Amino acid sequence: MPIIEVTSLAKDFRTGGAVVHALADVSFLVEEGRFVTLVGPSGCGKSTLLQILAGLISATRGEVRIAGEPIRAPMPDKIGMVFQDPTLLPWKTALANVEFPLDLRGIDRATRRKRCSELLKLVGLGEFADNYPHELSGGMRQRVAIARGLAPDPRLMLMDEPFAALDEQTRTRMGHDLLEIWEKTRKTVFFITHSLTEAIYLSETVLVMSARPGRILDTIPIEFPRPRELDLIGTERFGRIRNRIWHLIADTPK
Amino acid sequence: MRAALLGYVIFAVIILGGWELIARLDLVDPDLLPPFSQVCAILWQFMHDPRFTADLGVTAGEVGVAFLIAAPLAVSSGFLLGERLLLAQTFNPVVHFILAVPQSIFLPVFILAFGIGFLEKVLFGITHAYFVILVNSFAAVRSIPHPLIAVARVFGATPAQIYTRIYLPAMLPLVLTGLRIGMVLCIIGVLLAEMYASRSGIGRRIFGWGESAQIPELLAGIMLVSILTIAVNETMRLAELHVGRFYRRTSIA
Repeated sequence: MPIIEVTSLAKDFRTGGAVVHALADVSFLVEEGRFVTLVGPSGCGKSTLLQILAGLISATRGEVRIAGEPIRAPMPDKIGMVFQDPTLLPWKTALANVEFPLDLRGIDRATRRKRCSELLKLVGLGEFADNYPHELSGGMRQRVAIARGLAPDPRLMLMDEPFAALDEQTRTRMGHDLLEIWEKTRKTVFFITHSLTEAIYLSETVLVMSARPGRILDTIPIEFPRPRELDLIGTERFGRIRNRIWHLIADTPK
Repeated sequence: MRAALLGYVIFAVIILGGWELIARLDLVDPDLLPPFSQVCAILWQFMHDPRFTADLGVTAGEVGVAFLIAAPLAVSSGFLLGERLLLAQTFNPVVHFILAVPQSIFLPVFILAFGIGFLEKVLFGITHAYFVILVNSFAAVRSIPHPLIAVARVFGATPAQIYTRIYLPAMLPLVLTGLRIGMVLCIIGVLLAEMYASRSGIGRRIFGWGESAQIPELLAGIMLVSILTIAVNETMRLAELHVGRFYRRTSIA
């Protein structure tokens, strides 16, 4: 059974008197354990789609099922999320931020301490458990946010352009490390980005979305073997795929 | 922190030492400016005079009661306005109108309505503190970063948890600022009411000494009230800095 089933999804926003069509007739499936990236131009409704998948906002039409269950509200047991900004609680330490989802669910201190310390090590921040967010760099904060997303041991990780605010070097490094984490945990990852390189490098499948109103233009399998190294980005085959996606987006009439 | 402390000490030594020196060298009329040491001696006597400490107690009681009533009322109404924008649109202009008017001009009205005494002083203290605390707690609600609420919802927070885990800590620094300024205004309101018309309280004492030109007593009273007010203000400011220490250098991003 696919973990994400999106069927004929549409979302309209009403701003003042006008109606904005953010998403029009979006359908796709994501199988469990995959790394799938949705790529599309800025403002195409990617984030809107992700918020619907997370149960934060409702769709205007169509249906979303997560692990077979229609989503109407957040599913904290099934879905972990990493936002575009780290959105850490400034008054909590790195470790306490990772513990936050477990804390909400009343899991006892010792259990969550143990689990979350391991997660911080997994994202390479074992040494920084007692630091507050303002003492960490942007990349480190986003690592804490990834650990927090993994804390409830969800089946699905939703990632909303998590590296968009980082500089290019940090961003590349973070993508590489995310792949390592993914290979260790094998959670389903549904990743959103406007960077074609990031999308191709990270994923097994790339969903290409059109400009607003967003709809899926094509589903492109990415068959590079794993573990992937950064040199892959410079290869001719990589470039061909990137060009193909670029033309898909650019040549689609508005 | 230590540099600031040193600054305070140097400032105090210069002002108080200069005062003592000017008085001792007879540079000004000693009836107008008695030496600092003499004022201190009088203050010491006051602290052992049960009638004086009783007056101090009256003022402290009025301020305390006024603040304890004003603070929860103002914080909750500011919260309500922050959460219900329709209410805010209705009442914010009124609040800012009231904030702009010097409240001291209403004192005669308070006396006519409530007489002279404990009730009138407390009510005057409450109206002084209420609005500034309200405005700050309103701002505190509006300043809560929306993405943090989305984070809490995604990870399964109940509405009650969103209030206790996100709203409360996020609001605290601004609310504390409001409470501190509210406290200072509350003291001002009560002292003003005491000085204008009263049978007891430290404000009445100070005003009386001024009228009868008892300068050493007057200065001792002023000094005591200043020290106490500074102590209250600094204590609350330390709490504020402690709670707000995460916000100075970082946003949620």
